[in-house]
Amino acid sequence: MNSNNNTHDPLVERALAGFDLAAEHHIAECQPCQAERDQVENALRQFAAANREYAQRPEDFWELQAARIRAARHESESKSRLTTTLIPSLVVLLLAAFAILGRAPRIHPVQPAAPVAQVDSDHELLLEVERAIHSDTPRALEPATLVDESDGNPPLDPALQNKETRSHEN
Amino acid sequence: METALRTALGAATQNITAEEFDAIVLRHQRRVHRFLLMLLRDPEEADNLTQECFLRAYLNRTSFRGESSPETWLLRIAANLARDHARSRKAGFWKRLLGLGDDADDGVAAQVPSDDASPEQALLARENVRAVWNAANQLSQQQRAVFLLRFVEEMELSEIASALDLQVGSVKTHLFRALQTVRGKLRNLR
Repeated sequence: MNSNNNTHDPLVERALAGFDLAAEHHIAECQPCQAERDQVENALRQFAAANREYAQRPEDFWELQAARIRAARHESESKSRLTTTLIPSLVVLLLAAFAILGRAPRIHPVQPAAPVAQVDSDHELLLEVERAIHSDTPRALEPATLVDESDGNPPLDPALQNKETRSHEN
Repeated sequence: METALRTALGAATQNITAEEFDAIVLRHQRRVHRFLLMLLRDPEEADNLTQECFLRAYLNRTSFRGESSPETWLLRIAANLARDHARSRKAGFWKRLLGLGDDADDGVAAQVPSDDASPEQALLARENVRAVWNAANQLSQQQRAVFLLRFVEEMELSEIASALDLQVGSVKTHLFRALQTVRGKLRNLR
């Protein structure tokens, strides 16, 4: 086939690839295409044979290669075994540690006692205020007096008490 | 899915043993190695990636679903490894710097069988092989893989599609382009 005869080229390639019946039929009829295909096929056969030859290795090589693969497999297996053993062991250890820590007696911080006395005195003060209201004593209405009394101070001077009453009237 | 691998291998029990996997290695390592050597054109890398391929196959043996033969499955792992390797810029840089691919071309061309051939025929055969190698070098990694699986490993299109995780139509397209390039190189030779 003349190289100018480009219309035949795809047919030769299809026939060489081996998946086109129409191309096969054409090549069976076309002498130049047949010659072209034979030439390319011949080159491809030589190429395949040369590659197979190039890839040939002595038997020792394959044994060594297989041994290396076996060693790599063993190494990866032992690594994965270590991982599968180590991780659950660590988890168990951690759980055990938490369990032991959880059982230990806890030290609670000492909380300040409730101000019971204060509550009581407040209550008493309220009662006294109520009592004073009911007794209509102006002095008794003075919270300061009440506080003074509750603190144990003597009652105020009556004169001062009157003065204070006046000032309240103002 | 270990059962699928065992069925494909003719084994019958539930878990694949280390000995059975060793048998798989011995049976398929030559083809896997050859495929990687052709793709990478670097014997040392082909050795390393062959080992890596079988290790990955062992670690992922449960993912084998038995839809293809174990050999096709192994070649798929090898093709993926080769693709990842080619993507590595570091490897590409050192290869280019050391000119590793060129040695492989000469190595393959020197291997032309010349049992009954005259010196002229042997020379022509070497030139043919070199031309096809050069053409293969110009192909993309995917096209080269398709081309090599078809013409060196003599695999069916459906097997190639399965090994490279492609549609059969894509395999045909890659093959067609690869043949165009090869024919172009061979024409230049004449």
